[in-house]
Amino acid sequence: MIFLIEYNRSEGQIVTSRDFDDSQRLEAENSRLEIELDLNRKGVDHEVVLLEAASKDALQRTHRRYFVDLHQLLKSGSGQDV
Amino acid sequence: MIKNAFSKTQIDRLGDRLKGDPHTESDLRLLDDYRRSFGEAYEAVIRTIRQRGEFPTGRLAKSTFSIVEKLRRESIRLSQMQDIAGCRVVVANVVEQEHFVASLRIDFPRASVIDRRDKPSYGYRAVHIIAEISGKPVEIQVRTALQHLWAELSEKSSDVLDPTIKYGGGTDSWRSFLTSSSEAVAAYEKGAAVHEVFETSYSKTVGAHEKVEKATAELLERHIPDHEVQEIRGKLEDSTRKIKRLKQRIEESREEKVRLWTVNADLLNKMISWLDERRLRGQKQ
Repeated sequence: MIFLIEYNRSEGQIVTSRDFDDSQRLEAENSRLEIELDLNRKGVDHEVVLLEAASKDALQRTHRRYFVDLHQLLKSGSGQDV
Repeated sequence: MIKNAFSKTQIDRLGDRLKGDPHTESDLRLLDDYRRSFGEAYEAVIRTIRQRGEFPTGRLAKSTFSIVEKLRRESIRLSQMQDIAGCRVVVANVVEQEHFVASLRIDFPRASVIDRRDKPSYGYRAVHIIAEISGKPVEIQVRTALQHLWAELSEKSSDVLDPTIKYGGGTDSWRSFLTSSSEAVAAYEKGAAVHEVFETSYSKTVGAHEKVEKATAELLERHIPDHEVQEIRGKLEDSTRKIKRLKQRIEESREEKVRLWTVNADLLNKMISWLDERRLRGQKQ
């Protein structure tokens, strides 16, 4: 699956997100470009990222930063069982 | 239509323009075309990794935001950037990391390997492999679960607290937390690897001991000469002593592993308290 995420870094939050099938890569890339052009026109500094993962769960494991806050990240680490 | 051939000069000039602000629409479109030209190389790398049974999260192309940030921060030219396309694999521990990196070295024999585990970059530890397909570099990040957690803490705190944290900036207290945590993770992972070596050695020794015990029982039924019986019994006693020693080492290394983990968990808890205090003071999280 392909995931298109618009992320506000300073707020640490996703602004918009959209999922695409693997077969829709061109559409996903075009959508990313459109969002970037639109943000540029508005003078908004958001990160627009296109990621490909086996599932949303897999994406949330490898790119947790987009989905959880700093507190949750720290707690996920301190609560680990070794 | 995507243009696949870009001259180095054309790309570096684009990079120079992107350092400034605002960006023109034609520059953003040119950058997008350039990024898309990494598509085939990216696909080839992802296919190879999947054949190894791993399912990486791929980043089809670096975001404009990150490219511009990197161009402004470093003296790198756009045509030299090796992480325009890339992917990330998170494995359980350093033993798995070693195995996976070794398999990537076989799959991509001419790839360059950047091992940041012993020489971390601002605390960041991982192994990066830069595979090159038809002249296009693709970065493969291989992180253990703990290296990954640390990297995400560094990135997230750079997002919401101070963008310079990732590169050694930020408040003294937060920088100190991150540095200490990176060192604690490294120490824990070394300790855990030692423990795993003892565990593996123990199970192999026990397996071999059981085979010798079985063979001995069979030999004794055949009434072999006394000196041979004594020799076999001596070997069995040696093996029993070895098992006992290994058991002791496993226990010691387990205790050390837990102790090393506690160091990092304490640091993470301190960081949580630090954030809670900021929250109480109404500061940004």
